[in-house]
Amino acid sequence: MPPPVHDAAIVFTHASVAYDRFPAVEQVNGTVRPGEIVALVGPNGAGKSSLIKAVLGLVPVVAGSIVVLGRPPAQARRQVAYVPQADTLDPNFPISVAQVVLMGRYRRIGWLRPPGRADRAAAAAALAAVGLEHRARDRFGLLSGGQRQRVLLARAIASEPAVLVLDEPFNGVDVVSQEALLGAVRELTARGAAVIISTHDLTLAQSACDRVCLLNRRQFAFGPPADVLTPPLLRQAYGGAALELADHGLILAR
Amino acid sequence: MTLFGSLGDGYVRRALLEVVLLGVLCGAVGVQVVLRRLAFLTTALTHATFPGVVLASLLGIGLVLGAGLFGVLVVAVVAMLTGTRGAGRGRETSSVTAVVLAGGFALGLALMSTRDGFSRDLTAFLVGSVLTVSPSDIVATAVTTVCVLGLLAGLRKELLLGAFDPGALAAAGYPVRALDLVLLLMIEATVVTSLPAVGTIMAVALIVGPAATARLWCSGAGTMTAVAMVIGVLSGVVGLAVSEQWNVAAGGAIVLTVAAFFTVSLVARSLPRGESAMRPAAQEKSVGRPTYS
Repeated sequence: MPPPVHDAAIVFTHASVAYDRFPAVEQVNGTVRPGEIVALVGPNGAGKSSLIKAVLGLVPVVAGSIVVLGRPPAQARRQVAYVPQADTLDPNFPISVAQVVLMGRYRRIGWLRPPGRADRAAAAAALAAVGLEHRARDRFGLLSGGQRQRVLLARAIASEPAVLVLDEPFNGVDVVSQEALLGAVRELTARGAAVIISTHDLTLAQSACDRVCLLNRRQFAFGPPADVLTPPLLRQAYGGAALELADHGLILAR
Repeated sequence: MTLFGSLGDGYVRRALLEVVLLGVLCGAVGVQVVLRRLAFLTTALTHATFPGVVLASLLGIGLVLGAGLFGVLVVAVVAMLTGTRGAGRGRETSSVTAVVLAGGFALGLALMSTRDGFSRDLTAFLVGSVLTVSPSDIVATAVTTVCVLGLLAGLRKELLLGAFDPGALAAAGYPVRALDLVLLLMIEATVVTSLPAVGTIMAVALIVGPAATARLWCSGAGTMTAVAMVIGVLSGVVGLAVSEQWNVAAGGAIVLTVAAFFTVSLVARSLPRGESAMRPAAQEKSVGRPTYS
């Protein structure tokens, strides 16, 4: 059975998200369509991670709504893949690259059953999509930070998601890995997946993403990069952290 | 007398069977404990189970049964206070765990002191006595071993994901709380089962020691589990042999063997060579996950 086709992968309607009982981000409005990459942009503490967790159904939506693939977030999890920051994982954990990627198949395999040949093939293909098929047997922790990030993306790809959520995937990642990550993400969007990427990198948001959601405790703008990443809006969202330049708009202190 | 020579005695054969079963059980469960950095929580579980042993003895019911029932209570309290990886909100997990540890132990001592002329020797609870394990203890150990190994094998995908990347486990929609609780119950069952043989204080060594040793040598969780079980069994058998040969306390000899395996491995692995030369770089980036969570 082919997956149902949705016009909108994720719909935010006046959504407010609380983290640990405190409101983290409020009044988020917008739609993420299949085949589209949306960047979540904003200073530290803007609520990007909380919004991501809400899309994953891990923190509650306290006002408004978030609808993922036509369902509440917690009920859509099987078709949503999450890519955490690689450096939040223990690099000394005894696990091979191939095993990490295979984890993306676990939900499809189901309880009690071991991975089958089709699962291993899907994992191998996902690892090839991020250009690391030659590292399959290596221990995960021996790879560079950027390579580990690519392995985690491969794990997400192996689960054949309709929605892909990446939390700061480009932090401390070298150019080669950044290109590999973006290439693999674009392959997914070409197959109709919707992608959300939280990032500090405005240049990247501008060049690689279809639309941008600008946040700082609330939504300041949601639209094409050229409309959102403008000096006035950025100044509003970043407040005192925005430094004006004479001719090129502004730079942002973290 | 040597271990081989004393195998004619029923109690030595029972002890040997018990340590072999415990080596398998503790080795396998220990891998989960070590990979999730739950050594301190396990220590607390052993001490918090102590009052159950005393209560069982006071009430005249089986020690394993009493400790087991009390253990379920302890697990419920610990799960409520912390979860196996700590809930936060101002409750720093290792502090909570420390209080559970000391409080449980104190409750056990208080219970013991309520009865004059308490017949059981305190040391039997604290350090166990593998040479006096009863056939029913062995049956309990065997049943626990079979059940726990079955669960570990059946849930090995989910347990591996939960140990490596708990965030991804939750994001994939797995019942995280239920899985944590099952793991906690498996650890507690292992603790309770090993009490008659090695006692409250040393049970944690048999659980954590072989797995921590295997961790030094293995690059995969599967091989680590196999190696931990082998080291667990070897430690039990060697410890028992040492105990028979030189007439030292069996529990102590077993745990000293565990410690010897670990120390030798630690020294051998920190000698500079090949892969280990690359290791400091990887460790520098090590994330700030708590050692005890």
